[in-house]
Amino acid sequence: MTKSNSDDTKIVKTPPITDTKQPNRRQTIKTLAATTALAAVASTTPLFGRYGQAQSAEPIKIGFQVHRTGIGAAYGRWYNRTTEAAVKKINDEGGINGREVQIVAEDDGTDPKRGAEVVEKLATQHGCDIAFGTLFSHVVIGSAPRAGELKIPYFVVSEGHHVASGMLNRYTLQPGITDVKSQVQAMAPFVNSTLGKKVTMIYPDFAFGHDHRDYFSAAVEAQGGKVVAKIAIPPTESSFTKYFPKIPRDTEVIYHVMVGPAVLTFVKEMGEFFGNSRPEIFGFIDSLEAVDLASPGLEFLEGTYFWEGNPRYAQANQSDYDKAYRAAVGVDNNGASISDSKDVSTYAHMFGCWETLHIVKAGMEASGYKGAGDRAKLIEAVEAMTSMPHSYANPQGAKEFNGKTHQTFGQQYITRVENGRLVLAHTTSIADTYYPDEVDYTSQSF
Amino acid sequence: MSNSGPNKRQHKQAVIAASALTAILPAPALAHATGQSFVALLPTGPYMAVGVMIVALSILLLWFLPHKSADRLLPRLLIGRLAPPHRLRSTSSLGFFLLFCWLLHTGFTGTRDPLENSLILGFWVVFWMAALMIQGLVFNLWGWISPFYWLVRPMIRMRERGWMTLPRAIGVWPAVGLLLGFSAFTLADPAPDDPTRLASIGVIYVFITVTGMWLCGPRRWLSQVELFSIIMALFSRLAPYGRRGRTLWLGWHGWQIGQGLSVRPGLSIFVLVLLGTGSFDGFNETFVWLDLIGVNPLAFPGRSAVIIPVICGLAAGNLILLATFTLLIVLGDRITGGQATAHQLLPRFATTILPIALAYHTAHYLPSLLVDGQYVLMALNDPFNTGANLLGRDGFYVTTGFFNHRETMRMIWLSQALVIVAGHVLAVVLAHAQALHLYRNLRRAFVAGLPLAIFMILYTWLGLWLLAAPKGG
Repeated sequence: MTKSNSDDTKIVKTPPITDTKQPNRRQTIKTLAATTALAAVASTTPLFGRYGQAQSAEPIKIGFQVHRTGIGAAYGRWYNRTTEAAVKKINDEGGINGREVQIVAEDDGTDPKRGAEVVEKLATQHGCDIAFGTLFSHVVIGSAPRAGELKIPYFVVSEGHHVASGMLNRYTLQPGITDVKSQVQAMAPFVNSTLGKKVTMIYPDFAFGHDHRDYFSAAVEAQGGKVVAKIAIPPTESSFTKYFPKIPRDTEVIYHVMVGPAVLTFVKEMGEFFGNSRPEIFGFIDSLEAVDLASPGLEFLEGTYFWEGNPRYAQANQSDYDKAYRAAVGVDNNGASISDSKDVSTYAHMFGCWETLHIVKAGMEASGYKGAGDRAKLIEAVEAMTSMPHSYANPQGAKEFNGKTHQTFGQQYITRVENGRLVLAHTTSIADTYYPDEVDYTSQSF
Repeated sequence: MSNSGPNKRQHKQAVIAASALTAILPAPALAHATGQSFVALLPTGPYMAVGVMIVALSILLLWFLPHKSADRLLPRLLIGRLAPPHRLRSTSSLGFFLLFCWLLHTGFTGTRDPLENSLILGFWVVFWMAALMIQGLVFNLWGWISPFYWLVRPMIRMRERGWMTLPRAIGVWPAVGLLLGFSAFTLADPAPDDPTRLASIGVIYVFITVTGMWLCGPRRWLSQVELFSIIMALFSRLAPYGRRGRTLWLGWHGWQIGQGLSVRPGLSIFVLVLLGTGSFDGFNETFVWLDLIGVNPLAFPGRSAVIIPVICGLAAGNLILLATFTLLIVLGDRITGGQATAHQLLPRFATTILPIALAYHTAHYLPSLLVDGQYVLMALNDPFNTGANLLGRDGFYVTTGFFNHRETMRMIWLSQALVIVAGHVLAVVLAHAQALHLYRNLRRAFVAGLPLAIFMILYTWLGLWLLAAPKGG
């Protein structure tokens, strides 16, 4: 697979957005509702030319299953913001097949049972064309069967391996964000070749941590490295000093994926344990997503490495696409909100909403989507997609979509903390993220 | 292929947001905006010790104070003669009734997004979070915004003599039932912030209230059954501003309770349930509780999965508080040779814990209000979706940046802690005033109050611990 080079690509289709004003969903919806009434007036304005076809067509309704409340609310806020920005961009460019896009948001409370109800509401009550936007795996797993029963395309932005593992159904796709299995295994070559071959893993002792343990152990050993210790931390632990002595002395790299309210305590205590002599340290940004790395207490992270789905800080080789995407979502060069420099975004994940919506648009246009009767055609059109170049629609980087597994693959970023900023140290190839197919959804009937 | 079982996969992503992130929610049951990972870095242990010591010291100080009545412990100043005309309050009440009807309408027809829906923002954030605070901390706001007050006089005029009225003897027991039901809704229902769900419940509640006022007498219904009127009436007694007849007074928080509170049957239990529910609301999110009910706090399975444990916990929490409190006040009476029954003692002492209930409410919702208040401002900026920019908020993004930094989290945490400690100190003073009133002797009042004083100290520790404890869910 080719690695995209953001420097030598140009924006052809869409100029960078300079208007950083917040897209307002209510205004969008209101605009839609008033489209007919305003048509006579609006058609005289130059802008309206782009919506010409929308006069005679219903809007495309995208049901947004959003974690507005519950454990996922913090991510949900940024997923919501990214989604609104993407819809604004798509509508500004003429919508989908000339029809304006309308977002119908339903809060699922980050609750699988509610998730299934929300999918049903979106499909039956709100008459949405597709359901979209779910992040948390347990909600995806709780909702996907209902989406399959109702035969509504369900575009998730979850990172979970559940789509590609084959446990879901033909109606569930993940074309806008890579899965955790590919992310974790793609870290092994860099960790082995640059940081060290003897790795101690520290992870929370439940499914999330176990997945990291299993995927990374296998990948690192395939690279000729070795996991010398696996230290599982009980989820309710709030102090970690008793675990650090378990780190073998010959450890060259520590791989950590701690999460939860004790994560900063973990970093602080690890710093106190090692003092000035520490092994190399590698972690997943999930631990510190939305936390300012310049915060007091995080000094110990200086010089350590992180996986990032999309680099939070604008890099030296920042593409025009990333620049335009940041502006559209209202995020500054430090990955924080333009309204508050302390409000750090979930930059490593939220691009998935932006990219997914553009893939939906491409799929609907390729299939000539007109309404619910064309849902199967839409899925087939997305399944037929392969290479997606680095573009304003895919600002995180190029992707390779696997139509059989319904999962996209893309490059991953490894950044190093330098002066409290995450600076790009390595970009993996897309090939680093591949693993053998585990399912062929195209063989399932609609 | 990975051999992860479904259960294993199930929680893979769920944990991600259990990082240092915050959960900002409109419904109070959910609304706990916390920068918990920064709180974990704060020296909360010493902070808690200082808070507990302040309450303990306030208890000791009472021993050295001369024998004073509550009236003198909690002084007040006459502001002047100021009695707003009934018609003005009635008009305001009617206005809020119409506003509430419009909010209910938006619950059915407006956006489904709870952070944009006017009913969700209006009821949970503006009313339940903020108005209760104003009611207890400033003045009797409810006297102006009650959506039912305007109906009282017309109904009294229209109801014919001899019609049934709710017996006084029933007291506020119906409201105790409603409070428990409302608490279960906020804490255990899977979707209290669903606009349609809340609107449906709101319509039913308005219908029952208006019908009840008509059938059982408007004043009786509002003072014995209508849940929110009773909560607001209680909290208004903590406010510094208060009217007595046609005069307006300004005093220390709680001076109005020091003046005496008529305690209807069941009101003591109502107050205890108010505090018990507030306390359980905080406990409900802690790692300790989640661990107790077998839920991994880093991979909370959703409210639907814990309905029964939460209802059981709510019931158990209230029963434990009721039993402990009763036991302690009876014990205090017995060690000074008293013969009073729990039935006699509860009405006297239960109301003294009202400041703690208000403190829990305020501390609990303060972080949520900081975020959800911004959503309210966004909604007010364009209340009818006409594209208006009334408050100049267009282009503004709601922020939670203050939860992601240690210094701002320290300020938020200390503010919450201050409220908790102040609430307990006030409760100590009120309890002492009641004891003085009952026992007419400083030494006896002090000794009888000791078990309750220990309760206050322990409850202060509990309140501060709830602020500091790791939370999930």
